[in-house]
Amino acid sequence: MTMKNALKAVALTSVLGLALAACGSSKDDNKSGSSSDLNLISSGTLTVCSDVPYPPFEDFDKSAPSGFKGFDVDVVSKIADALKVKLVIKDSDFDPLQSGLLLTTKKCDLGASAMTITDERKKHLLFSDGYYDSKQSLLVPADSSIKSIADLAGKKVGVQKGTTGETYTTEHAPDAKRIQFKDDGTMYLALKAGTIDAILQDLPVNLDHQNDPKEPGKFKVVETYNTDEEYGFAAAKDNTALIDAVNKALADMKADGTYQSIYDTYFAVK
Amino acid sequence: MKRSTKRRLRDGALYALFLGAVATLILVADWSKIRHNFFDGGVLKAIWPELVTEAAKNTVVYTAEAFIGGLALAFVLALMKLSPLKPYRWAATAYIEFFRGLPALIVIILFALGIPLAFNGKALPGGAIGAAVIALIAVSGAYMAETLRAGIQAVPRGQTEAAHSLGMSGTWTMLSVVLPQAVRIVIPPLTNEIVLLLKDTSLISVAGVGIGQAELTNFASDNVVINSSPTPLIAAAVCYLIITLPLTQLVAYLERRSQKAR
Repeated sequence: MTMKNALKAVALTSVLGLALAACGSSKDDNKSGSSSDLNLISSGTLTVCSDVPYPPFEDFDKSAPSGFKGFDVDVVSKIADALKVKLVIKDSDFDPLQSGLLLTTKKCDLGASAMTITDERKKHLLFSDGYYDSKQSLLVPADSSIKSIADLAGKKVGVQKGTTGETYTTEHAPDAKRIQFKDDGTMYLALKAGTIDAILQDLPVNLDHQNDPKEPGKFKVVETYNTDEEYGFAAAKDNTALIDAVNKALADMKADGTYQSIYDTYFAVK
Repeated sequence: MKRSTKRRLRDGALYALFLGAVATLILVADWSKIRHNFFDGGVLKAIWPELVTEAAKNTVVYTAEAFIGGLALAFVLALMKLSPLKPYRWAATAYIEFFRGLPALIVIILFALGIPLAFNGKALPGGAIGAAVIALIAVSGAYMAETLRAGIQAVPRGQTEAAHSLGMSGTWTMLSVVLPQAVRIVIPPLTNEIVLLLKDTSLISVAGVGIGQAELTNFASDNVVINSSPTPLIAAAVCYLIITLPLTQLVAYLERRSQKAR
């Protein structure tokens, strides 16, 4: 208990510090003070867990200094810059990340893995402000008779285990035959092989398949769905100091246009 | 010191070391955390009926299908491998070396997703799961074929010669004299194969899992997410042991009996 209180106190003072800093000059370098306030698992380094690959959010890139690329990667590296710490990205599984296991056991400071902020996850994780509005979408072969979610009854719909896409399918297409996959790679393969009729998952990933240069014009996104959900970065439940600093950096990025330019790199409407 | 006293002292020290290790383990562990994380009664109650009626049942069914199919395939392959005709031997050897050398996971993906892709949507029977079980049959058949061949060759030559001298045909000798003895020899290694297959069924989920098709590992990892608790993993682990322990005990019994019979 005392440990928790101490952490709270640290968190509170750092929040106050931030608030005071924000009251000061707005032009000055008012980032987040020293990185030692942030409860990082190794001082001076922001260790980020991400389930790679999940393009365009996270993907391998041998030529990049971190070894990774993608929307999440670009955003967290800007955050690391703002916090004046180095960035290390660790490829990990999504399940232990979203259940909080990797964060509570101090395998990493922050989860950045296209993770939707949900009440269920909030029980075990501390989320940052949303950094991306998530939309769900339905991908089908171009010659499919499926035109909307209403046509899914009795059809085999691929979903990723434990994702918003799975929940959305359960709620809005209860008569569809849900087929669970561990990752998007085998699920897309299954759609190509015809063992499933459609994929319901996050829009950017389905857009990637629609624009797959190896399969031009073979698959199309027929519907998108607003879920009023956002992606957030996650930290261990007690690490308020870090999340406050991340939120501050995010707000700054949105204010000075850095966020928009990263966003346009990946999701610009063509 | 007498030799027996010495031995008693040494045994006593070993017992003390063992008890000390167990006690340290018990004292060092954080029992409230263990109970809270791994033995959460509420979570157990929530998953309990389905754990047995769906997950454990599917695991047993997939294992049984894969084992029976694999054993049948293995018999054919073993006989081919012992055939006096070269092409049969070559075919069996090529098959065994190929499938023994591949991870089951890759074979499952190729059978379940690769075959429909390569043959324009024509899939193996039983849907994706059926194809995955057939993949396990293909792999376990290769392993068991080698076991069976070794078993058949372990039957003393004199048995075959004696049968021939009684005027029995080659086929009849194999079926009524050699194989029954070979099976007795290979029962322990075959049980090993069942246990391995039982665990390999956890790979099936890569082909895509429909409603009601989940096996133990997949069911458990789903429920870890749903309940945000690792308890389902422990429940699944217990289920696996409930299935394997009687099996291995049964084999130990059969082995003892066949030792006596010889």
